Amino acid sequence: MSKRPEATGVGRRNFLKAATLAGAAATVATPLKAVAQGQAHPPKKAKAPQGVSAAQKAAETQNLPAAAAHLIEQTSGSDYMVDAFKSLGIEYIAAMPGSSFRGLQESFINYGKNKDPEWLTCLHEEISVAMAQGYAKVEGKPILNLVHATVGLQHASMAVYNAYCDRVPICMVTANIADATMRRPGVETDHTVQDGPVIVRDYTKWDDSPASLQHFGESTIRSYQIAMTPPMGPVILVADSALQEDPIPEDAKLSLPKLPRFAAAQGDVGAVAEVAKMLVEAENPLIMADRGVPGPNGVMPHLVELAEVLQCSVVDIGGRMNFPNQHPLNQSSRRGGVLSQADVVLGLDMVDFWGVTHRYRDQLHRTSSPALKPGTKTVSISSFDQFIHSNYQNFQRFEAVDLEVSGDGAATLPSLIEAVKKLVTADKKSAYEGRGKKLAQARQQAYERAKAEAASGWDIQPISTARLTMEVWNQIKNEDYSLAVATQPAGYWSHHLWKMDKAHHYLGDSGAYGVGYGGGGAVGAALANRKHGRLTVAIIGDGDLMVSPSSLWTAAKHKIPILMVVHNNRFYFQEVMHLQAMANRHMRDPRTAHIGTEIAHPDIDFAKMAQSFGVHAEGPVTDPAKLGAALQRAVAVVKRGEPALVDVVSQGR
Amino acid sequence: MSIRILAVLAGALAALATAASAEEHAASGNAKAGQQEYLAIGCWECHGSEGQGGAITGPRLAQTKMPYEAFLQQLREPVNAMPPYEPKILSDADAANIYAFLKSLPASPSAKDIPLLND
Repeated sequence: MSKRPEATGVGRRNFLKAATLAGAAATVATPLKAVAQGQAHPPKKAKAPQGVSAAQKAAETQNLPAAAAHLIEQTSGSDYMVDAFKSLGIEYIAAMPGSSFRGLQESFINYGKNKDPEWLTCLHEEISVAMAQGYAKVEGKPILNLVHATVGLQHASMAVYNAYCDRVPICMVTANIADATMRRPGVETDHTVQDGPVIVRDYTKWDDSPASLQHFGESTIRSYQIAMTPPMGPVILVADSALQEDPIPEDAKLSLPKLPRFAAAQGDVGAVAEVAKMLVEAENPLIMADRGVPGPNGVMPHLVELAEVLQCSVVDIGGRMNFPNQHPLNQSSRRGGVLSQADVVLGLDMVDFWGVTHRYRDQLHRTSSPALKPGTKTVSISSFDQFIHSNYQNFQRFEAVDLEVSGDGAATLPSLIEAVKKLVTADKKSAYEGRGKKLAQARQQAYERAKAEAASGWDIQPISTARLTMEVWNQIKNEDYSLAVATQPAGYWSHHLWKMDKAHHYLGDSGAYGVGYGGGGAVGAALANRKHGRLTVAIIGDGDLMVSPSSLWTAAKHKIPILMVVHNNRFYFQEVMHLQAMANRHMRDPRTAHIGTEIAHPDIDFAKMAQSFGVHAEGPVTDPAKLGAALQRAVAVVKRGEPALVDVVSQGR
Repeated sequence: MSIRILAVLAGALAALATAASAEEHAASGNAKAGQQEYLAIGCWECHGSEGQGGAITGPRLAQTKMPYEAFLQQLREPVNAMPPYEPKILSDADAANIYAFLKSLPASPSAKDIPLLND
C-alpha cells in the first residue's frame, strides 16, 4: 500500500511558505489581509482569517506537536478565491456539494461567513444552473454555480446549453486535481480530468484553468466581464484543488483587479442613420424584438418610445418581455398579417430571423414560403454574430437581411430614436397617427378574438388551459407579479389576456427548450424577485417538473416564495403529437401514440410529492369551479414567504 | 349539346352525388361512437377533448360549420401541418361518426358572460 504524501512530509504543501496578500483592490468587499503561513511553519504573529481571533489561532497552532502542524493551515487559497467572488457583488451560490471543491465551499461558509454570496443547497447541478439562469433573467447579472468536477459538470451541461441559447450570464466554477500524484485513488481520480470545461466549451463564452491564485483572481474578474458583455452567456473557471486547499504561497503578492463598468456595443452611427431613414420613409414598418439583454435593462422602454414616434407595428417574439402586451401598437397576435403587409422589417436581437419571416409546413415533404412580400427591406440589429460557435446549430437558418447592424439592441435604440426623431416631419407625423389608429383597432379586434377563444371550453374537464391561465391571473393581477415560467399554451393565453408591461412580468423560455428548466429556472427567478417583494408564479408542465422536482425542496429550504402551478396534462404532450403524426404518415395505428409519451397509470400526485419536500400543495384539482379557491390559498402561502404548488389536471393544449 | 358540355354536366352531377352521399353519410354518423374515435385517434390532442380548440395547435371544431365534404377532405389531405388520416386508419364511417360528435357538442359560452375574461 502506498503512503499518502502528507504522511511522508514531502507533499506539495511543504513547498509553501508564508505569503503576503498585497495590493488588494478597493473593490474587494472583505480584503484578505492575513499573512498566511505554510503548514510546515506555523506563524508566530500571523493574523488569522476572518471569523477566528488571532489569539485563538495562535494558541491553537503554537501548542501543537510538530506532526500536527502538518495537518492545519492558517489560511488557504480558497479564501482568496472567496474574496475574488465577493468583489463581484454576487449574492448567492447555487450548488450541489462536491468534494472537488470542498476547500472552496468551506471558505465560502466560514471565511466568507456564508453571506454575499450565500450558499443555497441544490439537489442537482442541472437545477442549480437553471436557478442561476432564472435569477439572471430578473436581475440581469449572475449568481455563482459551483459544480463538482466531471460528474457535476456533466449533470449541469444541459442547463448550461439552455443559458447559452438564452443569452444569459452564468458564472460557474468547477474543480480538478491536475497533479495525478496528489489524487486520492478511486473516486477522486474518477472525478479528475485533463480538460474539464471541454464538455461545455461549445456552449460557453469562455473558460480558464488558472495555474496560480493571482491567475485565478484575474480570471474571475475577466470571466464575469465576458459573461456580462452582450451577447451574454455562460463562463466557467477551474479551481484546482491544490490552489484551493494549499496555503497561500509565502512569496505571493496577491491582488484583485477592479471590476470595470460595462458599456455594450452600439450599432455603427452611419448604419443607424440609414435604418432611421428606412423606418421613417416606410409605409408599414414593423419592429420585432426577441432575446436581448435580460433583466431590467432590456429594450422595453426604448422600444415603446421608438414605436410611438413611428406609430408602427411591433411584434414581440417572446424571448424577453420586450413590449407591453396590451399596447395598441403590439401586433404580436397578428404576426402573419403584419409581416405580409410590412415594407420594412427591423429585427432586434433576433435568434431566428429566418424562422419568423417564413412559413414552414412540417409534412413528409417539408416546405417553406416567405411570410414577407417581395421587395420588403429587412434590417437586423444584434450582437449575436459578435460571438458564435460552430457546432451547435442554435444560430438557426441564415437570413440574408438587407442591412446587418452589429450591436446590442437596447444599447443601440437611443441613438436610433434620436435619428428617427430628426427625420419625422409634421406631415409624416399626421400620417403616422392614422396608421397608429388602424393598428390599435386591429389589436383590439385580436384581443376580442382571443377572449372568445378562451371562452371555448371554459367549464370542461380536464380544465382548459385558458381557464387555468385566467384563474391564475385572477389571483395575481393586483400584485407586482413575475411570470417566471409559462409552458405553452399558458404563455399564449397570458400574453393575449393578462396585462404585462414590465420586463419582469414575463421572463421568457428556457432558451434551448431543454426539458427540466422550469423548476430551477422558476425558483431562481423567485429568489431574485424575493427582495423586490414580487409574487413569482410559474405555470409549469408535468413532464418538465418531473425532471427537476427537487427544485421545490430548495425553495422550501431557503424560504423562496413561489406559486408553482402544474399544467398537468399527463403527457409529454409535444411528443405524443409527434408520435401520432408519424403513425399517420406511415398509415399505421395512431392509437399507440401514448406509448412512451403518457405520464399516467400511475398518475403522479404532485401535491403529495411537494408536501414531502415541505411545500404547501393542493391537488390534483379537476373541477374548474374549485381551482380559484385552491390558487387563492396557495397565494396566501406565497405571500407569507413560502413556496406553494397547485396541481391542475388540464387539457393538453 | 357538345360532348364537352355533356362531360362538364356529368362531372357536376357526379360531384353533387358525391356531396349528397357525403352529407348522407354524415347524417348517419353516431355521435357517441364518434367521441370514442375522436379521443382514440388523437384529434383531441390539437383540438381539445371537447372540440374546444387548442390555443396554438388547432381550431375549435365543436359545432363546426364546415360541410362534411370539406371536413373529410381536410382529414384526407390536410392543407396545413395536420397529420393526414388515410382511410386505412380512419374509415369514412368513423369520420362520419366524428363529424356527428362534433356537431352534437354545445355552443361555446360567450366571453361576455365570463367575469374572468372581462376584468
